[in-house]
Amino acid sequence: MIPLLAGSPCLDFYPPADEAVTLLPASRFTLEQLTEAYNQTRIDYIVPMPMNVARLREYIHIYDVDLDLSGVAMADGEMLGLAMLGVRPGYTWITRLGVLPTTRRRGTGEMLMRYLIGHSCRLRADHIILEVIQHNEPAYRLFLKLGFVEVRELLVVRRPPGPPRVEVPPYLARLLPSSTALELLAQRRSIPSWLDEAPSLYKAGYMAGLMVELENGGQGWIVYQNTIFQLGRMVLQTEAGDPFEVGRALLHALYTQHPLLDTKMENLPADDPHWPAMQSFHFLETFRRVEMRLDL
Amino acid sequence: MKTILLMEDNPYDARLIIRLLEILGYRMLHATEANVGLQMAMQERPDLILLDMGLPDLDGQTVAALIKMLPELTDVPVVVVTAWPPDTARQMAEAYGCAGFISKPINVKDFALQVTSFFRDSSGK
Repeated sequence: MIPLLAGSPCLDFYPPADEAVTLLPASRFTLEQLTEAYNQTRIDYIVPMPMNVARLREYIHIYDVDLDLSGVAMADGEMLGLAMLGVRPGYTWITRLGVLPTTRRRGTGEMLMRYLIGHSCRLRADHIILEVIQHNEPAYRLFLKLGFVEVRELLVVRRPPGPPRVEVPPYLARLLPSSTALELLAQRRSIPSWLDEAPSLYKAGYMAGLMVELENGGQGWIVYQNTIFQLGRMVLQTEAGDPFEVGRALLHALYTQHPLLDTKMENLPADDPHWPAMQSFHFLETFRRVEMRLDL
Repeated sequence: MKTILLMEDNPYDARLIIRLLEILGYRMLHATEANVGLQMAMQERPDLILLDMGLPDLDGQTVAALIKMLPELTDVPVVVVTAWPPDTARQMAEAYGCAGFISKPINVKDFALQVTSFFRDSSGK
């Protein structure tokens, strides 16, 4: 453990003293206990996003969650809440923060946040990222209070199964094997959220890709995850031409190839130039998140 | 007797819904995960499926899409039960071929009538 330097702004982030509540590393608990606690903290959410043990295990793996640095708040032998910390070189990500509905408004969420911020400071992280569902005002206010600032809005979008039902100009499409698709990520110009950063996509697996060339010279590629039930984790990039036109050709090729699969995409930047093309292919916005950042 | 399959992981909501509908004589099946719910649906061919949009193993939209693609189940009405804002719930229900949606928290007084209205013959018998 690296000691904090005197005068570091990180010194402000030690958890406030509350003798009734103990903060413990999440690694002291089983995945079953963590899953149960996580689901209980979200039971009254509009978008609860529950998990089972298998999904939580996968989440921890794909998103580099460090359970030794993640926290569980306990009082009288009961779990009050938890929060997890993803760690990648140079920065961290706070996720799965939740407090039981019956024990909210007592500062438990803030204690957990300060615990994770403190760990990030000790890791000498440059900054911390998190996402909050738009209109979750209590959480948003807490993050502002702790010094986080808004970065951008991220969309969670869906497209029900079905072949392309729109006409697009002629194009040539080429399917790419997983290894080639992943190599393309090194050329990505858009700034991904934690969920779609290259380390996440490498670990998520089942990645594939497509390239298209239009007669007018437009070119682009899409890298996506293709699981048994869903397409997702899409990264679209236009190399030449109009992103709307190239995006539509990419989506046309994708859904000609995979007409029966549902699509879920999380954390698409709201200003992504391909979003209008996706909307024209019947993508629907489910809800928005706000990405926030704290510079340390 | 009509059979209703409830796919709902929230134990409080599930208990309430099952109680309300069993009193009216419906045979209730309950699954807390999509995987189990889909197997139950295939085996039991329920007359109606009440589907929570957030299940621990697979989200509701994908479950709805799968149900609609299975020839044995494609005619079974699927009703979304969700806390989403009504506009979002309506849009998603329509897009995924569901019969409609019921908002959470459910209105105990109206819930049975809401459910009945989604049966194919509308009588609920």
